[in-house]
Amino acid sequence: MARVVSNSRQAVHRHYAAGLWQSNAPPSSPTALYLLCWFLGSILLAFLVIPLVALALTQSAASLAGVARMSDVRDAIMLSLEGAFLSAACAALIGVPLAYGLARSAFYGKGVVAALIDLPLAVPHTVAGIALLMVFGRQGILGAPLQTLAGLKFWGTIAGVVVAMLFVSAPYTVNAARIGFEAVDPRLEKVARTLGLGPWRTFFRITLPLARRSIMTGITLTYARSISEFGAVVILVYYPMTAPVKIYELFLRFGLEQSAAAAVLLLIVSLSLFVLLRTLAQRGGEPQESR
Amino acid sequence: MSAGASVEALTVSLGAFRLSKIDFAVSRGEILVILGPNGSGKSVTLETIAGFHRPESGRVLIGGHDVTALPPERRNVGFVVQNFGLFPHLSVVQNITIARRQRKALSGTGPAPLLRDDPAALLDYFSIAHLAQRSPSDLSPGEKQRVALARALATAPALFLFDEPFSALDAETHEQLRGELKSYLRMLEIPAIFVSHDRSDAMALADKVVILRNGAIEQSGPVPEALQRPINSFVARFVGVENILSGLAGAMSNSLQTIAIGERTLFAAAHSAPAASAVLLSIRAEDVAIYPAAHQSPTPDGANRFPGRITELQSRGPLVAITADCGFPLRAYLLKRQVHEMKLCSGSDVVVEIAPDAIHLMSG
Repeated sequence: MARVVSNSRQAVHRHYAAGLWQSNAPPSSPTALYLLCWFLGSILLAFLVIPLVALALTQSAASLAGVARMSDVRDAIMLSLEGAFLSAACAALIGVPLAYGLARSAFYGKGVVAALIDLPLAVPHTVAGIALLMVFGRQGILGAPLQTLAGLKFWGTIAGVVVAMLFVSAPYTVNAARIGFEAVDPRLEKVARTLGLGPWRTFFRITLPLARRSIMTGITLTYARSISEFGAVVILVYYPMTAPVKIYELFLRFGLEQSAAAAVLLLIVSLSLFVLLRTLAQRGGEPQESR
Repeated sequence: MSAGASVEALTVSLGAFRLSKIDFAVSRGEILVILGPNGSGKSVTLETIAGFHRPESGRVLIGGHDVTALPPERRNVGFVVQNFGLFPHLSVVQNITIARRQRKALSGTGPAPLLRDDPAALLDYFSIAHLAQRSPSDLSPGEKQRVALARALATAPALFLFDEPFSALDAETHEQLRGELKSYLRMLEIPAIFVSHDRSDAMALADKVVILRNGAIEQSGPVPEALQRPINSFVARFVGVENILSGLAGAMSNSLQTIAIGERTLFAAAHSAPAASAVLLSIRAEDVAIYPAAHQSPTPDGANRFPGRITELQSRGPLVAITADCGFPLRAYLLKRQVHEMKLCSGSDVVVEIAPDAIHLMSG
């Protein structure tokens, strides 16, 4: 038997050698279309990068060190990082299960649920802040009972920061995770079940690892979006100040120079964390599904 | 029976689709092929046996146990899907060790790897030990198939289920892997149910065949039976019968049934239809003999022998499919060499012969 098998294996390898199963066609040579795409695309890339570089170039190391010595700026940046971390963690905890539910079930009104998830992306963030104030504020429909029953306050605390950040950034985790789950072939889950793995084990051993990269990308985006949030946070919780709120305050009180230094400091901290997280999220690469 | 599997009056509803009253059995060492066009319910049948759909009524028995109420992970089946369904984030050996053994071992005299809980023995048995640390994406289809079989065997399954594992492969690889699969299944002696829309899978693999259409069984039984005696024109077309003719039943003559097709009268063996009733005939193209017009008949009296004229020749690999007009159109096969020797071409006059027992009467 082994001989029969190895013969067929050789034949199969010959196929490989002949390139019969190569799926990726070589990139086509530059055409006018290809060049035009890159020309237009580079305009966008320049538009995205130039303002940030220009901002960074205005600051000397000394002015950055100066602003870094200000404890209120440091506290604001730390609060932003902590808030964004907690917001990303909450999005993972309650957003990933929703993404899996959406990816694996078909029901009437699924489109409505998907639209609801995208809703925060369409709501101006000041509007989101006011809406959140109605719910989580001192007299809010959740804010008041939660304080009475659990002593949980959303104004003047990091809890409010997290709520505001989560509202505007959760869609990124849910949408990315959903795409990741949808890309996992349900047949693999079925095979796992027949191999003796129960539904939970199948989810944690097969589905979740296969969707890992998409989920991590979503969580990273949620984290990044949380750090950058201003509108909802400034309305729901003015104090303690997150970094964007602090920069706005510096801008109003001391003008461009003082605020630009803090802005560049925040930019450096948040960008380096973003790059680090993105790299971690993409590491190893998503295993290619055999199709 | 206890070493086999069966479904009894299985009825499953899935949205608008309904699988109704499916019955069949497969015993130890047997391969059953479920054939049907897309949407006929063959994958639903397989997935119901595996435990992914709850039947409305009916039972699923595996290894003598009623498993109808059990979840997939407790049914003891080896499930192989299209492209073999290896977990792409795990190495070959991890793909195998993730499986959880459900029984101590198979009863009887199965191959050694089934009797031991030993992934290394499985890898050796399928000659894939050298691939243990590889990622599935680096494997050829043949290697993937062997990993999938090894992985399924790691659970000591009582039944193998194959859901069109070859449908994404090119024809040559398909044929090669099918041959390899068959020899493994013969050695392992584990009953297997194989779902396909390709009748060549039934011809190459099956001991028994079940033909499904719209969620119901059209015909089931041993393979030669379904190929030679299709129950109706759907089955006949599906199993590749090329001559489906309608005629009018006549009287019995020398214990042969006469059938009128236009001007011609055919004699069919051992049938009896009410006189003057409309009948459908199936005649496999490979059962039609074709000779040059001058040929002297070697067949005994009572054979169906008609003059005809070739209207079309189509190349089919080593064969030529010949259509002749003998008062009705008839398809036959010859080897390319024979066509050259007989100097046949479109318009050639020929004689066709059909043995009475090659003519099968069907319902509409």
